[in-house]
Amino acid sequence: MSFEEFQNQARLYVIGALEAEEAEAFELARKQFGQRAEDYIAQCYSMHEAFALSLRPAKSSDALKERLMAMVRNRQTS
Amino acid sequence: MAMDFLSKNGAQDDPVEAPATRMPASAPELEPGAPTDLELMHAIQKEDPEALSLLYDRYNGILKALILRVIHNEAEADDLLQEIFMEIWNQAKNFSAQKGKPLGWMVTLARRRAIDGLRKKQAYARAGERLQTETEQQPDAWVHNATEEEITFSDTRILVRRVINTLPVAQQQAINLAFFRGMSQREIAANTNTPLGTVKTRLELGLKKIYDGLKELRDEL
Repeated sequence: MSFEEFQNQARLYVIGALEAEEAEAFELARKQFGQRAEDYIAQCYSMHEAFALSLRPAKSSDALKERLMAMVRNRQTS
Repeated sequence: MAMDFLSKNGAQDDPVEAPATRMPASAPELEPGAPTDLELMHAIQKEDPEALSLLYDRYNGILKALILRVIHNEAEADDLLQEIFMEIWNQAKNFSAQKGKPLGWMVTLARRRAIDGLRKKQAYARAGERLQTETEQQPDAWVHNATEEEITFSDTRILVRRVINTLPVAQQQAINLAFFRGMSQREIAANTNTPLGTVKTRLELGLKKIYDGLKELRDEL
């Protein structure tokens, strides 16, 4: 697999769209390309942020945050 | 067919204006003196609840929108949002800045939890049917009066959407089904009555354009 092909597969990998048979070849190439591969995969994850940021933020209730913070503080004291 | 990435008016919904001088796909511009996301993560790693509170205020809207896009249920989305922030609190020690930014880590975590929840309900089996109706019936069901958070994010959203909207509708659909529904290529092919090879090509071309588009925007700024 060339690095360009690996890049194509990496973009599919980060959104979980690699099929099982592709995943095996991808993991082999990932090892072969080493740190260069890891750096590229890390860059691909920026697409996750982009997809989330393409959405209009949704409103949550204040009670939800109060429950969350109460759980956190309870966990700290227990 | 209008796509899930888009609102009911499709690509024309948001004004297409000259991009603001703000980094796309990144955290919102912070008030002077406000802690960065990374500083908040480090504080959470030291078990500072106030840091989690600030991180929640900054990103609960984005993460809830993401969850809602996957599971389409307000009450379940709230429950999941609470669980996700608890997981952020509990798993913060596993976050490494060398592997990416805090928002990326949180989005990845939230997406995985939301898709797990969807699969547990087996609701994804009806995804094809929903896809046809939701853009007509409730494309922006969570739209509400603009909050300070929404205004802060709006420029970023416009920029990101500009990149996504350059894709043909079929590519947007394929990426949407993969990212927001957690579908495999075969599931996408079955749900859209499209040959598997075509789905693969659409995903590859679409993701490359998005990746390159985002990179180009970063490089310009």
